[in-house]
Amino acid sequence: MDKKTKTTHAPTGKSLFRKVYDFLSGFHLATVTLLLLLLLTWLATLEQIDHGLYPTLNKYFSWKSWYLIPDMVPEINGKKLPIFLPGGYYVCALLLVNMILGGIIRIRKGPKQIGNLISHFGIIFMLLGGGVAHHFSERGNMAVSEGETSNVAEDYHEYVVEVSEVKDGEREEFHVVRGEYLTDLKGGKSRIFDFEGIPFSLEISGYLVNSVPSNQLERPRQKNELVADGYYLEEMPGEVETERNFGGCYARVIFEGGEKSDPFIMAGASYYPFTVRDGDRVFTIDMRKRLWVMPFEVKLDTFTADFHPGTSMPAKFVSDIRRLENGQESKLTISMNEPMRYEGLTFFQASYGPQGAKPGDPMYSVFEVVKNPADKWPEYSLYVVAFGMLVTFLTKLGGHLGASSRKRKNAE
Amino acid sequence: MTIACERNAATMSVEETRTTTTKDGSPKLFATSDERFRNAQPSPVKGDPPENWLVLPAKQFRELNYRFGESGSGEVYVSLASGSVGDNVNRWFRQFGEAALSAADLEKLARIPIAGTEGVWVEARGEYAAGMGGAAARPGQALAGVISQVGGRLLTLKMIGLEAEVEAEKDSLKAFAASLELTR
Repeated sequence: MDKKTKTTHAPTGKSLFRKVYDFLSGFHLATVTLLLLLLLTWLATLEQIDHGLYPTLNKYFSWKSWYLIPDMVPEINGKKLPIFLPGGYYVCALLLVNMILGGIIRIRKGPKQIGNLISHFGIIFMLLGGGVAHHFSERGNMAVSEGETSNVAEDYHEYVVEVSEVKDGEREEFHVVRGEYLTDLKGGKSRIFDFEGIPFSLEISGYLVNSVPSNQLERPRQKNELVADGYYLEEMPGEVETERNFGGCYARVIFEGGEKSDPFIMAGASYYPFTVRDGDRVFTIDMRKRLWVMPFEVKLDTFTADFHPGTSMPAKFVSDIRRLENGQESKLTISMNEPMRYEGLTFFQASYGPQGAKPGDPMYSVFEVVKNPADKWPEYSLYVVAFGMLVTFLTKLGGHLGASSRKRKNAE
Repeated sequence: MTIACERNAATMSVEETRTTTTKDGSPKLFATSDERFRNAQPSPVKGDPPENWLVLPAKQFRELNYRFGESGSGEVYVSLASGSVGDNVNRWFRQFGEAALSAADLEKLARIPIAGTEGVWVEARGEYAAGMGGAAARPGQALAGVISQVGGRLLTLKMIGLEAEVEAEKDSLKAFAASLELTR
């Protein structure tokens, strides 16, 4: 923000519109929003230690979070003070509005302000990039063993239900019920899903974020859970690392005549799908983490891990891969800090296995796959901000040198 | 996202699909709940238990596992064990504090049909000490069982419970033994 921008209280007599405009474009608002972002980032960094990164990011910076109550609040007589903070998403949105109104529109225009204007554009670009990434990016992971090929990444968190017809022992098309339509099915709420080309509907209820199927004879029920074929869904405490949760729910098949099957369990923690026969047709119904089909295949040729001598600290992980697409083959290397970017997707070297493998053991490599339309925007915005600051510095330097020169001349 | 209806609707039409991926192998169809949730392999033995026996999940050393009797304490289980028929007969007798049988005495034991062949019928009664895990000896118990070599493996069918309850289930046990079949 330009400190010369007028942000004094609007004198009486100004229209409401003008007052709002002055507030939104003011330097005070910029200061408050930046301080709030600093505070939110600090609190979220501390809170994610106990609550995990994903839930904490959702709590502090999701568009669904208008406000939040941080865990780290002072206590009086053993009771936490109810301190409310605005959600980070909306603080960023307010800062964006402030930057556009105050840093671009309202700012004094002139040769001396060019640097400031450029920097403000850079900050706006950065904030927009954050919004685009928040709403449109996808993340998953792809594990590939040496010598094998993969064309799919798996979402870290989202459990879906898939229905597919089996023809000649194989499945060609999977109907996917996304997680957002399952997670609210709690407390007796159910929903019926129809699928094009599938002769039955699926009624789903009793969704649990983290659960395992337990045999009622081995582990007696604690909450009078529904039992299906000797098993019930035992709710487990949510994991701090939420990618370790196993989603679960109950389902019934509703055939065309309205007849309902017995309930059965759909669980992320299952080895095989549930099978439904309808006449002479056979279908599988499965719950799993959402699969994300890639537009090309990745074949892992070799994986190499180097460690700092005498430690388990990674020095370098290198995956030599081949990217296969339309009969074409490209040999590439993905390593730490050197991802593969292609067709809007970025493949980062994330992990490997098996842990404790000996030299010569077959290895697998895990890539984090990210689709983010604003992937490089933060980098570019930093260049813009830095350039704007350089221009401001040179302008100030030029002005200072000019003034000094004039002083000397006047003194002579 | 291509689900056509609102999120809160009671009925939805699902339009999102995906194609087959390298993660989708040939599916295992009609998997049982045990297979789906425990990756339990199909039992190598199957049989036709009487309706009044409670079916329990299989576990280590118990390929088929049941409870019976009004007390709820009676156990029936089928195992695939190692060793000879004689060794196992005498191990069962030892659990009731009885002396080991000689080879000649073993020959005198009754034979009954089991899994398409014949096995040695074993009975004992008295104080039962399983000899595992430090469990206390239980008085008033009885054992009835069959031991047989089937397809190069030792198949054992053992019933343990209160003496009166075992006595009442002997015929069912024999019928169950005859129904047994090795599946692999």
